[in-house]
Amino acid sequence: MPEPIVEAVDVAKVYQLGKTQVHALRHVDLVVERGEFLSIAGPSGSGKTTLLNLIGGVDVPSSGTVRVDGEDTSKLTERALTRLRLDHIGFIFQTFNLVAVLTVFQNVEFPLLLQGRMSSDDRRRRVNALLEAVGLADHARHRPSELSGGQRQRVAVARALVANPPLVLADEPTANLDSVTGGHIIDLMREMNRRDGTTFIFSTHDPKVMSHASAIVRLEDGRVVGRETAQGAEAR
Amino acid sequence: MSVVASRVRQGRILLQMAMRNLVASRVRTLVVGGIVALGVVIVVLGSSLLDSIDVGMTRSIQGSLGGHVQLYNAASRDPLALYGGTMGESVLEPIDDFARLKAAALTVPGVKLVVPMGIDQAMVSMGNVFDVALERLRADVRRRMEQGAPADAPDYEAHKAHLRRMATLLQQELRAAREIADETSGVYRDRKADFDALSTAVEGGFWETFDADPLGSLEFLENRVAPLSLDGGFTFIRYVGTDPEAFQKAFPGAQVVEGSPIPPGQRGALLGKLYAEEWLKLRAARRLDKIKEARDLNGRRIAKDEELQRWVKENTGQTRDILLQLDPVRTREAVRRLQAALGTKEEDPGKIVAALLDTNDDNFDARYRIFYAELAPLLQLYSVKVGDFITIKAPSRSGYVSSVNVPIHGFVEFRGLERSALAGMMSVLDIHSWRDLYGYMTPERAAEVRRLKERAGARTVAREDAEAALFGGGAEVPVEPVAVKPFDEAALLLAGGGRQSREDLFRRRYTQAETDTGVALNAAVILDDPRRIGETMPKLVEAAARAGMKVKAVTWLEASGIVGQSMGLLRMVLYLAVLIIFAVALVIINNAMVMATLQRVKEIGTMRAIGAQRRFVLVLVVVEVVTTGLVFGGLGAALGIAIVHAIGWTGGIAATNDTMYFLFSGPALIPRLGTASLVTSVAIVFLVSILSALYPAVLAMRVTPLEAMQSDE
Ligand SMILES: Nc1ncnc2c1ncn2[C@@H]1O[C@H](COP(=O)(O)OP(=O)(O)OP(=O)(O)O)[C@@H](O)[C@H]1O
Ligand SMILES: [Mg+2]
Repeated sequence: MPEPIVEAVDVAKVYQLGKTQVHALRHVDLVVERGEFLSIAGPSGSGKTTLLNLIGGVDVPSSGTVRVDGEDTSKLTERALTRLRLDHIGFIFQTFNLVAVLTVFQNVEFPLLLQGRMSSDDRRRRVNALLEAVGLADHARHRPSELSGGQRQRVAVARALVANPPLVLADEPTANLDSVTGGHIIDLMREMNRRDGTTFIFSTHDPKVMSHASAIVRLEDGRVVGRETAQGAEAR
Repeated sequence: MSVVASRVRQGRILLQMAMRNLVASRVRTLVVGGIVALGVVIVVLGSSLLDSIDVGMTRSIQGSLGGHVQLYNAASRDPLALYGGTMGESVLEPIDDFARLKAAALTVPGVKLVVPMGIDQAMVSMGNVFDVALERLRADVRRRMEQGAPADAPDYEAHKAHLRRMATLLQQELRAAREIADETSGVYRDRKADFDALSTAVEGGFWETFDADPLGSLEFLENRVAPLSLDGGFTFIRYVGTDPEAFQKAFPGAQVVEGSPIPPGQRGALLGKLYAEEWLKLRAARRLDKIKEARDLNGRRIAKDEELQRWVKENTGQTRDILLQLDPVRTREAVRRLQAALGTKEEDPGKIVAALLDTNDDNFDARYRIFYAELAPLLQLYSVKVGDFITIKAPSRSGYVSSVNVPIHGFVEFRGLERSALAGMMSVLDIHSWRDLYGYMTPERAAEVRRLKERAGARTVAREDAEAALFGGGAEVPVEPVAVKPFDEAALLLAGGGRQSREDLFRRRYTQAETDTGVALNAAVILDDPRRIGETMPKLVEAAARAGMKVKAVTWLEASGIVGQSMGLLRMVLYLAVLIIFAVALVIINNAMVMATLQRVKEIGTMRAIGAQRRFVLVLVVVEVVTTGLVFGGLGAALGIAIVHAIGWTGGIAATNDTMYFLFSGPALIPRLGTASLVTSVAIVFLVSILSALYPAVLAMRVTPLEAMQSDE
């Protein structure tokens, strides 16, 4: 049995907000298997973003451990953590977060350049293949500012996938899109999930978006209150 | 994949991003770049100008008076100042035997020439026009006494009439002065005697009986009338006493512009050209020159300039200097020429000369030409000319005033320093005359004094005692010399027992040994290789010490005193300007980049989240600033180079005043482009960019990947 891609054990995250402590997450245990298309659901302030940040290695837990692809994130140096993000995780942001001065092609190419492993020919082939897959082959030379919101998020999807990471995280990837476009993005992500077996973890408020997920983890007030698969609810 | 290859790839995207960022925020880039470019232009232009000033001044000073190294007595209280110090002439202890120092210095390898010098200033009296006229008449009289009176003697009559006219002019002047004077004062009484003498010289009776007693009449004119015409008077002269032959060899910048060099081994003087212009030129001509220069070089206009108006007024009001020089024959000729040139029928010489000099902006150039073409040939423009003798009087070291007579061989100009009020005023004097003035024994003085002393049975008194007596000296020395009167060499010499005649003295040729043996104040050392100055100086001091002399060695630059310091000052000003500009640039670039970083926090956070290391972000900011710096620095350098060339093509920066002329070592400054200045400016820009990028880069580095998650700014 393969090792789970994400394994969180008794994770807590406490933010210090002035004199009060905010318990964003408490006693969270979570296992995500490879190939899952997992949605994290919950009301506003329930800790979805916090959990994704811990999994994505942009933040470390106050207590407990988070393992990503077998690595305990709190034991890694800043450099190693950055390396983990680069090589093992793709990010899709709520606000797209493309580099404004780079073209669509260059935005997608960026992680490959950071990795510095591929020749420029290989990179071009890889980037073009991704742009083809997200349906933006014609827009390679465009700047992000020349694209619609949906197109930008497609570029972001391509960028998240270009280095072929085992895990892609997306915090409310459709929140800034209308529901039809948002639906297309989720379809695209699902398609990629099926095609390459890439694990996706995304958060959302939208029940329609959730319905595409293979499993849903529900958070409430910083705790996991339930996990259900597409087939039906499964209490924990 | 090699690490290097991956770095190169990252480098490319870094550069690309930096360039794109720069283009994206054009205004910021242009502001930052503009400042950098301006800074570089100033560095390139400023240092090019300074370099060429430096080279020019070095050539001028080394080639005129400074040489490479200067030696002087280490016991001297003041530092050597070739061009005078701020507190007047520096007081140096003498080098008692220059020949010994020369021999010692020449043992040091690389020493080419050693030139003795003594710089001082003194009073000088120049012949005046009355003397000139009188001298002419005296020659006539002598000829007539030797050869008999020729039947037809228009010259003789004209010369007499000239003197009479001059007396008339002087009388008019004195009458005007008497009208405003108090009748009871002593001055008035003195003036009365003068006035009576002048009246005699003006009256027809005096001239009718002139030939009856020409010598007596001449004596009257000489003793009673000539002193009243003091226009030549006394002026100051600054001179360097030297071995003229060695001086000429050592200082190619000292050029004889009129007359001829002082013949080897002989006595004589070369007057500084600028000095002659300033002090010895006919004042009206000098003022015309100054007006012309003000108009041509500085664009000043008589109509708008009070100083020029004053000069014109002085010229029209003081025609006497010109009229005095003209005897009746020449006066008629002058009037005739001016009538033709000015197209007027004016007969009065005073009025027509005044009319010529009454210039305005429209007629100035024409009048200037007429003055020099028509009137000047009839005049003696300078109060001395080549072949004249001047009398220099200076307080010697022994306290008494010594005086020497020297023939003017020519006029000397120091190339590059022609117009420097400090350097251009210098005249050159043979060292024997200088030693006479300085009060040290010249060979013939020594012999003569010895002879006279023997005859008088006089006792020598130590120099110190004589000085103390003369200056009132220290407290322990009685102010009144009681028993022993100090032995006064000057009095003995002037009493003139066995004094050599003037002609003998000036025809005499001194041997090189005679010229070298004796006192000097400093010695200019010329090296084979000017780059060896630093290492040669201590060797010179050592060599002198071995010969029993304690000397101090200074570079030509130190010796040039305030002249050389002005160079250093200019450099300081440039450095300060550059420092300020780049300090400002640093602050502005820093601020701009901090703002840019803050604006890009989310983007930087995103890159960090995606997997960019801190170093990547740091380098991104630095590359951005350095790229800006280098690109605009390059543009600035190109602009600077273009300007330097443009200035060169248009003939350089014209000197519009004497200070500039001096700094430029000539009438125009052509900046020379130095690789040093280019390299310096690139280095400065590089440094400033990196320094100003440091803080924003650290800020950028501190941006966490969490910033990427911020929903919106
Ligand atoms: N940097 C922070 N400092 C202090 N408190 C924080 C910080 N980030 C999150 N919190 C708090 O932690 C709790 C969880 O926040 P989180 O952003 O994870 O919720 P969320 O489920 O993503 O909410 P939303 O649906 O609105 O995005 C909230 O109470 C929030 O106020
Ligand atoms: Mg959230």
